[in-house]
Amino acid sequence: MSDPWTDRLSEYVDDEMPPGDRQMFALHLRHCAECTATLIELKRVAVRARALTDREPAADLWPGIAARIGATTPSSGVPVIPVRRRAGGRWSFSIPELAAAAIALMAVSGGAVWLLRPAPASLATTPLPVAPSSPATVTPVPAASRPRTAGYDAAVSDLEQVLNEGRGRLDTATVRVLERNLAAIDSAIAEAQRAVAADSANMYLNSHLAATKRRKLELLRQAASLVTAVS
Amino acid sequence: MLLTAAIALSTLALTTQIDTTVTVARGQRLEANAFGGEIHVTMWSRNAVRVQADPTSRTQVVVSTSGSTVSVRTEGRRGPASAVDLAITVPAWMSLDLSGVYTDVKVEGAKGPVTVETVQGEVSVTGGDGIVSLSSVQGSVDLRGARGRIEVHSVNEDVTVSETTGEIRAETINGEVKLAKVDATALDASTVNGDVTYDGPIHDGGRYSLSSHNGDITIAAAPTTNAVVSVSTFSGDFESEFPVTLTNGRKGRRFDFTLGKGGAQIELESFQGTIRLVRPGSTAMKDDHDHDDDD
Repeated sequence: MSDPWTDRLSEYVDDEMPPGDRQMFALHLRHCAECTATLIELKRVAVRARALTDREPAADLWPGIAARIGATTPSSGVPVIPVRRRAGGRWSFSIPELAAAAIALMAVSGGAVWLLRPAPASLATTPLPVAPSSPATVTPVPAASRPRTAGYDAAVSDLEQVLNEGRGRLDTATVRVLERNLAAIDSAIAEAQRAVAADSANMYLNSHLAATKRRKLELLRQAASLVTAVS
Repeated sequence: MLLTAAIALSTLALTTQIDTTVTVARGQRLEANAFGGEIHVTMWSRNAVRVQADPTSRTQVVVSTSGSTVSVRTEGRRGPASAVDLAITVPAWMSLDLSGVYTDVKVEGAKGPVTVETVQGEVSVTGGDGIVSLSSVQGSVDLRGARGRIEVHSVNEDVTVSETTGEIRAETINGEVKLAKVDATALDASTVNGDVTYDGPIHDGGRYSLSSHNGDITIAAAPTTNAVVSVSTFSGDFESEFPVTLTNGRKGRRFDFTLGKGGAQIELESFQGTIRLVRPGSTAMKDDHDHDDDD
């Protein structure tokens, strides 16, 4: 059964929920990890969306992104859902839109840099690595982060590769700083993962883990853009 | 002899100080890029951009105008540019887009949008209106007296925002986030290894998120504050200078409480640090500043 609150997350974020409902929803959040995680994503997407400026794309990145996340393209009949900008300048998303936005944010983070790497033609046809799926080795993952893990790992892997290949072009002091801070984030991720493993229903721990992983992605993206800039 | 004279003249020309002034019209923006050195931007009342520099023979300073953009950049004559200090004077209304690699950036008195990106350099900006976005990988970022939509970002150093109003996002990884005398209608302040402090009014309807992994969170709340406060930690502590009544949750992990009528939403999160709720002007806040001064 679907959660009746999921369609009202935008209403909550935009402060358009009646006070009584808002209080009930706040109580609901305490027990619903999925809504909490989605709400955090929604807030972050909304914050980033507000910071965006309208700009024509330099190239159609969707085919590459779609390939990375295993999605079909609009030409295959899947409807494209436009993001609605409200008169007040705020952004509103339905849950499917949010899910797409969250995946796209992560995929674009890695994918855009990935597409900027040399020899894009050969990369476009390179088969994606597929992790072996053995039930005996599967580690339980919190529901809130389950749908995003594969895309995240792929983006991190791509960006780490860009950084590894380009580290020789960066100043050694910069590389040291990047490595030290990536190590700090990895340490925080490991601590958060251990905490989540011990208390998988803890909404804060799940959201903190997701936020810390996102931070790593952002730093890697920044590092990759430095490499690209000096190439 | 003529050849020698020509070479000498050429060398003189290459090392002569540059002092160029370009007339600009309202709406034009400045783009400045220096590979190394300092970009120092000050304001004046004239609708003109003045560029002063003392480049080495290896590096030239190119000033150009294209459409709505006045561009100032350093270029190496043979290979990478060397460090050059650019002193640029602009009208206060001008939008600024400043960037570099080994470059300190200092802006004084801006009244338009400001964007700064550097890799190894300090960023110090006073003023700014509209979108103000400051970023350094290996340098501190200091913003004072801005208003609008603010984004300040470092990786390996502190981020400080003061006397600033608007929607603020401040983050670093290995450093502190310090927000003093800040009037934020929305705030997202975070770090991994460092403390986060906020001292400023909390507005009804505002959202304030302060988070750290290995650091303390300190927020000042006046007695008249109306806010629903959500506190989350894994192995940290919570301290308050005044009594609060928990509405739900269990102390020590995650809990909520309401101040006044609960108009704002405050999220305080530290994985393993102490979360403090203090009064404005508290010694806890002063201790932080004193500690910073000692550093």
